[in-house]
Amino acid sequence: MSFQKRLQANEFVVLAEMHTPKGVNISRLVTDARRIKGRVDAIVVPDMDNGIMRMSALAGGVLMQQQGVEAIIHLYCRDRNRMALQGDILAAHVLGIENLMVVHSEEMSQGDHSDAKTVDDLDEIGLLKAIETLQNGKDMAGFDLDGIPSFFTGCSIAPYADEAALAEELAAAQQKVAVGARYILTPPVFDVGQFASFFSRVKELGVPVIPTVFLLKSLAIAQYIANSEPGAHISDELIRRIRKSGDREQEGIQIAGETIAALKSMTQGVLIQTLGWEHKLPAILDVAGL
Amino acid sequence: MITAERKPLEELIEYIKPFKRLLLVGCNECVTVCAAGGRKEVGLLASGLHMAMLKSGTNIEIHEHTLERQCDPEYIDELVPMIDSVDAVMSMACGCGVQEIARRFKGKPVFPAVNTKFMGASERQGVWSERCQGCGDCLLGKTGGVCPIARCAKQLMNGPCGGSTGGHCEIGEDVDCAWALIWERLKELGQEDRFVEITPAKDWRPGGGAGPRKIIREDLAE
Repeated sequence: MSFQKRLQANEFVVLAEMHTPKGVNISRLVTDARRIKGRVDAIVVPDMDNGIMRMSALAGGVLMQQQGVEAIIHLYCRDRNRMALQGDILAAHVLGIENLMVVHSEEMSQGDHSDAKTVDDLDEIGLLKAIETLQNGKDMAGFDLDGIPSFFTGCSIAPYADEAALAEELAAAQQKVAVGARYILTPPVFDVGQFASFFSRVKELGVPVIPTVFLLKSLAIAQYIANSEPGAHISDELIRRIRKSGDREQEGIQIAGETIAALKSMTQGVLIQTLGWEHKLPAILDVAGL
Repeated sequence: MITAERKPLEELIEYIKPFKRLLLVGCNECVTVCAAGGRKEVGLLASGLHMAMLKSGTNIEIHEHTLERQCDPEYIDELVPMIDSVDAVMSMACGCGVQEIARRFKGKPVFPAVNTKFMGASERQGVWSERCQGCGDCLLGKTGGVCPIARCAKQLMNGPCGGSTGGHCEIGEDVDCAWALIWERLKELGQEDRFVEITPAKDWRPGGGAGPRKIIREDLAE
Protein backbone atom coordinates (compact mmCIF):
# COMPACT_ATOMS: atom_id res chain seq x y z
CA MET A 1 0.00 0.00 0.00
CA SER A 2 1.32 3.43 -0.88
CA PHE A 3 2.33 6.05 1.67
CA GLN A 4 -0.75 8.10 0.79
CA LYS A 5 -3.13 5.16 1.07
CA ARG A 6 -1.67 4.07 4.40
CA LEU A 7 -2.05 7.55 5.84
CA GLN A 8 -5.59 7.80 4.54
CA ALA A 9 -6.40 4.39 6.02
CA ASN A 10 -5.10 5.59 9.41
CA GLU A 11 -2.22 3.13 9.26
CA PHE A 12 1.04 4.01 11.02
CA VAL A 13 3.65 5.09 8.44
CA VAL A 14 7.39 4.84 8.83
CA LEU A 15 9.56 7.27 6.88
CA ALA A 16 13.34 7.47 6.79
CA GLU A 17 15.39 10.42 5.62
CA MET A 18 18.28 9.93 3.21
CA HIS A 19 20.50 12.64 1.82
CA THR A 20 21.84 12.69 -1.69
CA PRO A 21 25.64 12.70 -2.09
CA LYS A 22 27.80 15.75 -2.54
CA GLY A 23 29.10 14.32 -5.78
CA VAL A 24 27.98 11.54 -8.04
CA ASN A 25 28.83 8.51 -5.95
CA ILE A 26 25.42 7.06 -5.23
CA SER A 27 26.53 3.68 -3.93
CA ARG A 28 25.99 4.47 -0.25
CA LEU A 29 22.57 6.01 -0.89
CA VAL A 30 21.45 3.05 -2.95
CA THR A 31 22.85 0.49 -0.49
CA ASP A 32 21.21 2.20 2.48
CA ALA A 33 17.87 2.35 0.66
CA ARG A 34 18.00 -1.33 -0.29
CA ARG A 35 18.80 -2.22 3.30
CA ILE A 36 15.49 -0.85 4.56
CA LYS A 37 13.34 -1.69 1.54
CA GLY A 38 10.09 -3.23 2.77
CA ARG A 39 10.63 -1.94 6.30
CA VAL A 40 9.70 1.71 5.66
CA ASP A 41 6.80 3.16 3.73
CA ALA A 42 8.81 5.87 2.03
CA ILE A 43 12.18 7.58 2.01
CA VAL A 44 12.26 11.33 2.44
CA VAL A 45 14.92 12.92 0.25
CA PRO A 46 15.91 16.46 1.31
CA ASP A 47 17.22 18.79 -1.36
CA MET A 48 20.16 20.92 -0.27
CA ASP A 49 19.31 20.68 3.40
CA ASN A 50 21.19 23.00 5.75
CA GLY A 51 22.37 24.94 2.72
CA ILE A 52 24.80 22.23 1.65
CA MET A 53 25.11 21.84 -2.13
CA ARG A 54 24.33 18.26 -3.10
CA MET A 55 22.82 16.24 -5.90
CA SER A 56 19.23 17.38 -6.28
CA ALA A 57 16.36 15.73 -4.40
CA LEU A 58 14.59 15.04 -7.68
CA ALA A 59 17.41 12.75 -8.81
CA GLY A 60 17.62 11.22 -5.33
CA GLY A 61 13.90 10.55 -5.31
CA VAL A 62 14.00 8.90 -8.71
CA LEU A 63 16.90 6.71 -7.54
CA MET A 64 14.82 5.59 -4.55
CA GLN A 65 11.88 4.70 -6.80
CA GLN A 66 14.26 2.73 -9.03
CA GLN A 67 15.19 0.68 -5.95
CA GLY A 68 11.50 -0.01 -5.40
CA VAL A 69 11.15 2.36 -2.46
CA GLU A 70 8.57 5.14 -2.55
CA ALA A 71 10.07 8.63 -2.31
CA ILE A 72 8.98 11.91 -0.81
CA ILE A 73 11.09 14.78 -2.09
CA HIS A 74 11.65 18.15 -0.47
CA LEU A 75 10.83 21.37 -2.28
CA TYR A 76 11.73 24.81 -1.01
CA CYS A 77 12.15 28.32 -2.35
CA ARG A 78 15.70 29.47 -1.59
CA ASP A 79 17.42 28.24 -4.76
CA ARG A 80 14.76 28.20 -7.47
CA ASN A 81 12.35 30.74 -8.82
CA ARG A 82 8.77 29.92 -9.80
CA MET A 83 9.86 28.86 -13.30
CA ALA A 84 12.43 26.35 -12.06
CA LEU A 85 10.16 25.06 -9.28
CA GLN A 86 7.25 24.46 -11.63
CA GLY A 87 9.55 22.80 -14.15
CA ASP A 88 10.93 20.48 -11.48
CA ILE A 89 7.45 19.67 -10.19
CA LEU A 90 6.32 18.64 -13.67
CA ALA A 91 9.52 16.63 -14.10
CA ALA A 92 8.95 14.92 -10.74
CA HIS A 93 5.54 13.68 -11.83
CA VAL A 94 6.84 12.42 -15.15
CA LEU A 95 9.67 10.59 -13.40
CA GLY A 96 7.26 8.82 -11.05
CA ILE A 97 7.50 10.87 -7.86
CA GLU A 98 4.13 10.92 -6.12
CA ASN A 99 4.94 12.73 -2.88
CA LEU A 100 6.24 16.23 -2.26
CA MET A 101 7.07 18.00 0.93
CA VAL A 102 7.28 21.78 1.01
CA VAL A 103 9.83 22.79 3.61
CA HIS A 104 11.57 25.80 5.01
CA SER A 105 15.16 26.28 3.82
CA GLU A 106 18.23 27.29 5.75
CA GLU A 107 19.31 30.85 5.06
CA MET A 108 21.93 31.00 2.27
CA SER A 109 24.58 32.62 4.44
CA GLN A 110 24.45 29.58 6.77
CA GLY A 111 25.31 27.12 4.02
CA ASP A 112 28.45 26.10 2.19
CA HIS A 113 27.82 28.49 -0.71
CA SER A 114 27.20 31.51 1.47
CA ASP A 115 28.16 33.89 -1.35
CA ALA A 116 25.33 32.64 -3.60
CA LYS A 117 22.35 34.78 -4.45
CA THR A 118 19.19 33.83 -2.62
CA VAL A 119 16.14 33.39 -4.84
CA ASP A 120 13.08 33.18 -2.55
CA ASP A 121 10.78 34.17 -5.41
CA LEU A 122 7.97 32.30 -3.64
CA ASP A 123 7.47 31.37 0.00
CA GLU A 124 6.18 28.05 1.38
CA ILE A 125 2.55 29.14 1.09
CA GLY A 126 3.13 30.39 -2.46
CA LEU A 127 4.82 27.14 -3.42
CA LEU A 128 1.98 25.03 -2.01
CA LYS A 129 -0.47 27.17 -3.97
CA ALA A 130 1.67 26.73 -7.10
CA ILE A 131 1.46 22.93 -6.69
CA GLU A 132 -2.33 23.18 -6.34
CA THR A 133 -2.47 25.37 -9.44
CA LEU A 134 -0.47 22.85 -11.47
CA GLN A 135 -2.73 20.07 -10.20
CA ASN A 136 -5.66 22.07 -11.52
CA GLY A 137 -4.14 22.06 -14.99
CA LYS A 138 -2.70 25.57 -15.12
CA ASP A 139 0.71 27.09 -14.53
CA MET A 140 1.21 30.12 -12.33
CA ALA A 141 0.85 32.43 -15.31
CA GLY A 142 -2.56 30.92 -16.08
CA PHE A 143 -1.56 28.91 -19.14
CA ASP A 144 -3.08 25.44 -19.68
CA LEU A 145 -0.85 22.44 -19.07
CA ASP A 146 -0.55 19.64 -21.58
CA GLY A 147 -0.96 16.80 -19.07
CA ILE A 148 -1.74 17.44 -15.44
CA PRO A 149 0.47 16.29 -12.55
CA SER A 150 -0.82 14.99 -9.24
CA PHE A 151 0.94 14.67 -5.90
CA PHE A 152 0.40 13.91 -2.25
CA THR A 153 1.91 17.03 -0.71
CA GLY A 154 2.88 17.72 2.87
CA CYS A 155 4.51 20.48 4.84
CA SER A 156 6.59 20.82 7.96
CA ILE A 157 6.66 22.72 11.21
CA ALA A 158 10.15 24.07 11.93
CA PRO A 159 11.76 23.65 15.35
CA TYR A 160 10.51 26.33 17.70
CA ALA A 161 12.25 27.91 20.66
CA ASP A 162 9.32 29.07 22.79
CA GLU A 163 5.56 29.45 23.01
CA ALA A 164 5.50 32.57 20.82
CA ALA A 165 7.48 30.84 18.06
CA LEU A 166 5.24 27.78 18.34
CA ALA A 167 2.11 29.94 17.98
CA GLU A 168 3.58 31.45 14.80
CA GLU A 169 4.49 28.01 13.45
CA LEU A 170 0.99 26.70 14.14
CA ALA A 171 -0.60 29.72 12.44
CA ALA A 172 1.69 29.19 9.44
CA ALA A 173 0.88 25.46 9.39
CA GLN A 174 -2.83 26.30 9.37
CA GLN A 175 -2.27 28.42 6.27
CA LYS A 176 -0.25 25.64 4.66
CA VAL A 177 -3.05 23.15 5.25
CA ALA A 178 -5.54 25.65 3.82
CA VAL A 179 -3.54 25.83 0.59
CA GLY A 180 -3.07 22.14 0.06
CA ALA A 181 -0.72 20.48 2.59
CA ARG A 182 -2.23 17.11 3.45
CA TYR A 183 0.17 15.95 6.16
CA ILE A 184 2.56 17.68 8.54
CA LEU A 185 6.02 16.65 9.63
CA THR A 186 7.02 18.01 13.01
CA PRO A 187 10.41 18.56 14.72
CA PRO A 188 12.37 15.85 16.54
CA VAL A 189 10.84 14.37 19.67
CA PHE A 190 13.14 13.73 22.60
CA ASP A 191 10.51 13.83 25.32
CA VAL A 192 7.32 11.98 24.46
CA GLY A 193 5.44 13.47 27.44
CA GLN A 194 6.29 16.99 26.32
CA PHE A 195 5.39 16.09 22.74
CA ALA A 196 1.89 15.01 23.79
CA SER A 197 0.76 18.55 24.59
CA PHE A 198 2.28 19.89 21.33
CA PHE A 199 0.68 17.04 19.42
CA SER A 200 -2.78 17.80 20.78
CA ARG A 201 -2.48 21.30 19.28
CA VAL A 202 -1.06 20.24 15.93
CA LYS A 203 -3.64 17.55 15.30
CA GLU A 204 -6.34 20.23 15.52
CA LEU A 205 -5.14 21.26 12.05
CA GLY A 206 -7.03 18.24 10.78
CA VAL A 207 -4.30 16.45 8.80
CA PRO A 208 -2.05 13.52 9.77
CA VAL A 209 0.89 14.51 11.97
CA ILE A 210 4.21 12.74 11.57
CA PRO A 211 6.84 13.61 14.19
CA THR A 212 10.55 13.22 13.61
CA VAL A 213 12.73 10.87 15.61
CA PHE A 214 16.34 11.98 15.48
CA LEU A 215 19.21 9.59 16.12
CA LEU A 216 21.46 11.03 18.83
CA LYS A 217 24.81 9.84 17.51
CA SER A 218 26.87 11.03 20.46
CA LEU A 219 26.75 12.68 23.84
CA ALA A 220 28.20 15.85 22.28
CA ILE A 221 25.34 16.10 19.79
CA ALA A 222 22.76 15.58 22.52
CA GLN A 223 24.39 18.27 24.64
CA TYR A 224 24.63 20.62 21.68
CA ILE A 225 20.94 20.28 20.86
CA ALA A 226 19.99 20.59 24.53
CA ASN A 227 21.93 23.83 24.81
CA SER A 228 21.15 25.42 21.48
CA GLU A 229 17.54 24.40 20.98
CA PRO A 230 15.51 24.81 24.15
CA GLY A 231 12.35 23.87 22.26
CA ALA A 232 13.81 20.40 21.61
CA HIS A 233 13.28 19.38 25.28
CA ILE A 234 16.30 17.15 25.75
CA SER A 235 16.13 16.47 29.46
CA ASP A 236 19.07 16.19 31.87
CA GLU A 237 17.92 12.66 32.49
CA LEU A 238 18.37 11.78 28.80
CA ILE A 239 21.84 13.33 28.77
CA ARG A 240 22.74 11.33 31.91
CA ARG A 241 21.46 8.14 30.30
CA ILE A 242 23.77 8.60 27.30
CA ARG A 243 26.72 9.67 29.47
CA LYS A 244 26.43 6.63 31.73
CA SER A 245 26.07 4.17 28.88
CA GLY A 246 28.95 1.82 28.12
CA ASP A 247 28.04 1.93 24.43
CA ARG A 248 26.80 5.41 23.59
CA GLU A 249 26.17 4.67 19.92
CA GLN A 250 23.94 1.76 20.85
CA GLU A 251 22.26 3.91 23.49
CA GLY A 252 21.32 6.46 20.82
CA ILE A 253 19.83 3.69 18.69
CA GLN A 254 17.96 2.38 21.71
CA ILE A 255 16.58 5.84 22.53
CA ALA A 256 15.44 6.41 18.94
CA GLY A 257 13.79 2.98 18.77
CA GLU A 258 12.04 3.44 22.12
CA THR A 259 10.80 6.87 21.07
CA ILE A 260 9.31 5.43 17.89
CA ALA A 261 7.63 2.65 19.86
CA ALA A 262 6.17 5.20 22.29
CA LEU A 263 4.87 7.40 19.47
CA LYS A 264 3.24 4.50 17.67
CA SER A 265 0.11 4.59 19.80
CA MET A 266 -0.20 8.36 19.49
CA THR A 267 0.69 9.58 15.98
CA GLN A 268 0.13 8.53 12.41
CA GLY A 269 3.74 7.82 11.75
CA VAL A 270 7.34 8.80 12.29
CA LEU A 271 10.17 10.17 10.21
CA ILE A 272 13.54 8.78 11.27
CA GLN A 273 16.48 11.12 10.80
CA THR A 274 19.93 9.61 11.08
CA LEU A 275 22.06 12.30 9.38
CA GLY A 276 24.72 10.17 7.71
CA TRP A 277 24.14 7.04 9.80
CA GLU A 278 21.49 5.59 7.54
CA HIS A 279 23.17 2.18 7.92
CA LYS A 280 21.88 2.22 11.50
CA LEU A 281 18.25 2.41 10.37
CA PRO A 282 17.66 -1.39 10.48
CA ALA A 283 18.89 -1.47 14.08
CA ILE A 284 16.58 1.40 15.05
CA LEU A 285 13.64 -0.31 13.39
CA ASP A 286 14.53 -3.54 15.27
CA VAL A 287 14.39 -1.73 18.61
CA ALA A 288 11.12 -0.09 17.62
CA GLY A 289 9.66 -3.47 16.74
CA LEU A 290 8.96 -2.44 13.15
CA MET B 1 19.10 59.56 -4.93
CA ILE B 2 16.36 57.18 -3.89
CA THR B 3 13.54 57.58 -6.39
CA ALA B 4 9.85 57.13 -5.79
CA GLU B 5 6.49 57.51 -7.49
CA ARG B 6 3.23 58.38 -5.84
CA LYS B 7 0.76 55.55 -5.42
CA PRO B 8 -2.61 55.78 -7.19
CA LEU B 9 -5.13 57.92 -5.32
CA GLU B 10 -7.59 55.02 -5.08
CA GLU B 11 -5.11 52.93 -3.11
CA LEU B 12 -4.40 55.79 -0.73
CA ILE B 13 -8.11 56.40 -0.17
CA GLU B 14 -8.53 52.74 0.80
CA TYR B 15 -5.86 53.23 3.48
CA ILE B 16 -7.35 56.36 5.01
CA LYS B 17 -11.06 55.56 4.70
CA PRO B 18 -11.49 54.52 8.34
CA PHE B 19 -9.90 57.68 9.75
CA LYS B 20 -11.08 61.23 10.46
CA ARG B 21 -7.78 63.01 11.07
CA LEU B 22 -4.65 62.33 9.06
CA LEU B 23 -1.10 63.62 9.28
CA LEU B 24 0.49 63.73 5.83
CA VAL B 25 4.26 63.88 6.09
CA GLY B 26 6.67 64.78 3.31
CA CYS B 27 10.45 64.60 3.17
CA ASN B 28 12.85 67.29 1.97
CA GLU B 29 15.46 64.86 0.65
CA CYS B 30 15.37 62.43 -2.29
CA VAL B 31 11.60 62.39 -2.78
CA THR B 32 11.65 66.18 -3.09
CA VAL B 33 14.29 66.00 -5.81
CA CYS B 34 12.35 63.38 -7.76
CA ALA B 35 9.11 65.30 -7.21
CA ALA B 36 7.30 62.47 -5.46
CA GLY B 37 6.97 63.44 -1.81
CA GLY B 38 8.28 66.91 -1.01
CA ARG B 39 6.39 69.91 0.40
CA LYS B 40 4.73 70.64 -2.96
CA GLU B 41 3.54 67.04 -3.43
CA VAL B 42 2.25 66.96 0.16
CA GLY B 43 0.05 69.97 -0.61
CA LEU B 44 -1.21 68.47 -3.86
CA LEU B 45 -1.97 65.09 -2.32
CA ALA B 46 -3.71 66.65 0.69
CA SER B 47 -6.07 68.54 -1.64
CA GLY B 48 -6.61 65.46 -3.80
CA LEU B 49 -7.43 63.23 -0.84
CA HIS B 50 -9.65 65.86 0.73
CA MET B 51 -11.68 66.32 -2.42
CA ALA B 52 -11.96 62.60 -3.10
CA MET B 53 -13.16 61.95 0.44
CA LEU B 54 -15.68 64.82 0.23
CA LYS B 55 -17.00 63.33 -3.00
CA SER B 56 -17.69 60.11 -1.16
CA GLY B 57 -19.44 62.05 1.60
CA THR B 58 -16.66 62.04 4.21
CA ASN B 59 -14.83 65.02 5.57
CA ILE B 60 -11.27 64.20 6.60
CA GLU B 61 -9.01 66.61 8.47
CA ILE B 62 -5.52 66.50 6.92
CA HIS B 63 -2.53 68.09 8.64
CA GLU B 64 0.46 68.67 6.39
CA HIS B 65 4.07 68.66 7.48
CA THR B 66 7.37 68.14 5.68
CA LEU B 67 10.46 66.99 7.55
CA GLU B 68 14.03 67.74 6.64
CA ARG B 69 14.72 63.97 6.58
CA GLN B 70 12.38 61.15 7.49
CA CYS B 71 15.14 58.57 7.75
CA ASP B 72 16.63 60.33 10.75
CA PRO B 73 15.08 59.99 14.24
CA GLU B 74 16.29 63.47 15.14
CA TYR B 75 13.92 65.05 12.61
CA ILE B 76 11.04 62.67 13.30
CA ASP B 77 10.83 64.13 16.82
CA GLU B 78 9.31 67.19 15.19
CA LEU B 79 6.08 65.20 14.74
CA VAL B 80 5.64 64.58 18.47
CA PRO B 81 3.41 67.64 19.15
CA MET B 82 1.15 66.70 16.23
CA ILE B 83 0.82 62.95 16.62
CA ASP B 84 -1.85 62.84 19.34
CA SER B 85 -4.24 64.99 17.35
CA VAL B 86 -4.41 62.55 14.41
CA ASP B 87 -5.71 58.99 13.93
CA ALA B 88 -3.16 57.93 11.35
CA VAL B 89 -0.06 59.05 9.47
CA MET B 90 0.62 58.88 5.76
CA SER B 91 4.25 59.25 4.74
CA MET B 92 5.38 60.54 1.36
CA ALA B 93 8.99 59.52 2.00
CA CYS B 94 10.72 56.40 0.71
CA GLY B 95 10.30 53.12 2.60
CA CYS B 96 13.02 54.16 5.05
CA GLY B 97 11.00 57.16 6.19
CA VAL B 98 7.76 55.22 6.52
CA GLN B 99 9.47 52.65 8.72
CA GLU B 100 11.14 55.26 10.90
CA ILE B 101 7.78 56.90 11.60
CA ALA B 102 6.22 53.50 12.35
CA ARG B 103 9.10 52.70 14.70
CA ARG B 104 8.81 56.03 16.50
CA PHE B 105 5.00 56.07 16.92
CA LYS B 106 4.14 52.50 17.76
CA GLY B 107 0.43 52.97 18.44
CA LYS B 108 -0.29 54.93 15.29
CA PRO B 109 -1.14 53.38 11.90
CA VAL B 110 1.33 54.55 9.25
CA PHE B 111 0.76 54.21 5.50
CA PRO B 112 3.06 54.74 2.51
CA ALA B 113 1.92 57.26 -0.09
CA VAL B 114 4.68 56.44 -2.57
CA ASN B 115 6.24 53.35 -4.10
CA THR B 116 9.99 53.46 -3.57
CA LYS B 117 11.63 52.54 -6.86
CA PHE B 118 15.41 52.56 -7.10
CA MET B 119 18.67 54.41 -6.56
CA GLY B 120 19.08 56.43 -9.69
CA ALA B 121 20.17 59.56 -11.45
CA SER B 122 18.33 62.23 -13.35
CA GLU B 123 18.76 61.77 -17.13
CA ARG B 124 16.89 64.94 -17.99
CA GLN B 125 13.99 66.95 -16.59
CA GLY B 126 11.39 64.46 -15.34
CA VAL B 127 13.35 61.30 -16.25
CA TRP B 128 15.23 59.20 -13.72
CA SER B 129 17.08 55.94 -14.40
CA GLU B 130 18.36 53.19 -12.20
CA ARG B 131 22.09 53.33 -11.57
CA CYS B 132 22.84 51.39 -8.37
CA GLN B 133 21.47 48.38 -6.52
CA GLY B 134 23.63 48.76 -3.44
CA CYS B 135 25.44 45.46 -4.03
CA GLY B 136 27.92 46.37 -1.32
CA ASP B 137 31.00 45.61 -3.41
CA CYS B 138 31.30 48.32 -6.06
CA LEU B 139 32.59 47.13 -9.43
CA LEU B 140 32.52 50.47 -11.21
CA GLY B 141 36.29 50.81 -11.14
CA LYS B 142 36.56 47.72 -13.32
CA THR B 143 33.62 48.33 -15.61
CA GLY B 144 34.38 51.79 -16.86
CA GLY B 145 31.96 53.47 -14.48
CA VAL B 146 28.89 51.60 -15.79
CA CYS B 147 27.18 49.17 -13.41
CA PRO B 148 26.26 45.74 -14.83
CA ILE B 149 24.33 44.86 -11.68
CA ALA B 150 21.92 47.78 -11.90
CA ARG B 151 21.90 48.31 -15.64
CA CYS B 152 22.15 44.86 -17.24
CA ALA B 153 18.75 43.11 -17.23
CA LYS B 154 20.49 39.80 -16.55
CA GLN B 155 23.04 41.22 -14.10
CA LEU B 156 25.79 39.57 -16.12
CA MET B 157 29.24 39.78 -14.69
CA ASN B 158 30.75 38.79 -18.03
CA GLY B 159 28.62 40.31 -20.76
CA PRO B 160 27.19 41.04 -23.13
CA CYS B 161 24.65 38.30 -23.82
CA GLY B 162 23.33 37.39 -27.26
CA GLY B 163 20.47 39.85 -26.88
CA SER B 164 22.59 42.96 -27.25
CA THR B 165 21.80 44.64 -30.57
CA GLY B 166 23.06 48.00 -31.77
CA GLY B 167 23.80 49.08 -28.22
CA HIS B 168 20.33 48.16 -27.00
CA CYS B 169 19.14 45.51 -24.60
CA GLU B 170 16.80 42.81 -25.89
CA ILE B 171 14.09 43.93 -23.46
CA GLY B 172 13.53 47.14 -25.43
CA GLU B 173 15.11 49.70 -27.71
CA ASP B 174 14.77 52.35 -25.02
CA VAL B 175 17.11 50.38 -22.74
CA ASP B 176 20.84 50.68 -23.25
CA CYS B 177 22.87 47.48 -23.14
CA ALA B 178 25.07 47.99 -20.07
CA TRP B 179 27.82 45.88 -21.59
CA ALA B 180 27.79 47.90 -24.80
CA LEU B 181 28.19 51.00 -22.65
CA ILE B 182 31.00 49.32 -20.72
CA TRP B 183 32.77 48.39 -23.97
CA GLU B 184 32.47 51.91 -25.38
CA ARG B 185 33.71 53.46 -22.17
CA LEU B 186 36.68 51.08 -21.79
CA LYS B 187 37.61 51.78 -25.41
CA GLU B 188 37.58 55.52 -24.72
CA LEU B 189 39.82 54.91 -21.73
CA GLY B 190 42.14 52.65 -23.72
CA GLN B 191 41.33 49.80 -21.32
CA GLU B 192 39.87 47.26 -23.77
CA ASP B 193 42.00 44.53 -22.14
CA ARG B 194 39.77 44.80 -19.08
CA PHE B 195 36.86 43.61 -21.17
CA VAL B 196 38.36 40.18 -21.71
CA GLU B 197 39.22 39.62 -18.08
CA ILE B 198 36.94 36.96 -16.61
CA THR B 199 35.06 38.17 -13.58
CA PRO B 200 34.36 35.33 -11.12
CA ALA B 201 30.87 34.53 -9.76
CA LYS B 202 29.80 37.41 -7.56
CA ASP B 203 29.69 37.23 -3.81
CA TRP B 204 26.14 38.40 -3.04
CA ARG B 205 26.60 38.61 0.72
CA PRO B 206 27.54 42.29 0.81
CA GLY B 207 24.48 42.96 -1.35
CA GLY B 208 22.06 41.61 1.23
CA GLY B 209 22.55 37.91 0.56
CA ALA B 210 23.38 37.42 4.24
CA GLY B 211 20.26 39.22 5.43
CA PRO B 212 19.45 42.84 6.30
CA ARG B 213 22.57 44.97 6.30
CA LYS B 214 23.92 47.39 8.83
CA ILE B 215 26.87 49.77 8.91
CA ILE B 216 28.50 50.38 12.27
CA ARG B 217 31.12 53.12 12.32
CA GLU B 218 32.97 52.62 15.58
CA ASP B 219 34.44 56.12 15.33
CA LEU B 220 30.97 57.68 15.17
CA ALA B 221 28.68 55.25 17.02
CA GLU B 222 27.65 56.31 20.52
